[in-house]
Amino acid sequence: MVPSQGFRQDLLLAIPSLRAFAVSLSQNADKADDLVQETLVKAWDKQASFQEGTNLKAWLFTILRNEFYSQMRKRGREVQDSDGIMTSRLAVHPSQQGSLDLEDFRLALQQLPEDQREAIILIGASGFSYEEAAAICDCAVGTIKSRVSRARTRLQELLGISGEADYGPDAIAAQVLGSGTSR
Amino acid sequence: MTKENRPAHGRPGDGAASADILGANSEIARKLKQYYEEIVSDDIPDRFTELLTALERADPSANGN
Repeated sequence: MVPSQGFRQDLLLAIPSLRAFAVSLSQNADKADDLVQETLVKAWDKQASFQEGTNLKAWLFTILRNEFYSQMRKRGREVQDSDGIMTSRLAVHPSQQGSLDLEDFRLALQQLPEDQREAIILIGASGFSYEEAAAICDCAVGTIKSRVSRARTRLQELLGISGEADYGPDAIAAQVLGSGTSR
Repeated sequence: MTKENRPAHGRPGDGAASADILGANSEIARKLKQYYEEIVSDDIPDRFTELLTALERADPSANGN
């Protein structure tokens, strides 16, 4: 077994989810692919520092995220609106109350602050645990939880859908604050 | 950067909590997955396979790790 070949293959397998995370962060397909490219190069260079048996995907996501924020700092936080994405405002069609349009969802997601957006993506789509997401974002587990909660509440507001069933915003906030669920 | 993960509230069953906060079957959770999966299911652009090949060629010493 040649370690490098295994590593190459592992990187290859991670590319689809890296791209999805990159698009979620940057909200721009071209910038996202540049981010992925930069991530792969960095990962390759730092290959020796990756500990076998640990979570490669989480490691790669951390690199990508760091790259995103360092680019954003360089550009003076112009990343998000540079292509006028935000100018296209949310339009929820009354006729589609039952099934939310994916494009509307995308626009709503764009309006979240980056920290909330990345949290809800990592937890709700990338399949990371709260602990993993906290490690990737270099913050406390509780911080990730409250970001996910706020992101969800905000998306519901933007999309005009109410909290479903038992899990309204209040119930969620209560859980995040650790004030205990009724058992 | 300085702050390490401080111990959370030590609540058991974070996996379950994850579903609770997001609402496992909520419209938001479903759309989130749909949005993400749409990108994941794209074909990997050639530039990335080419990049990996180039990296491998440029750095054959990486084999030894």
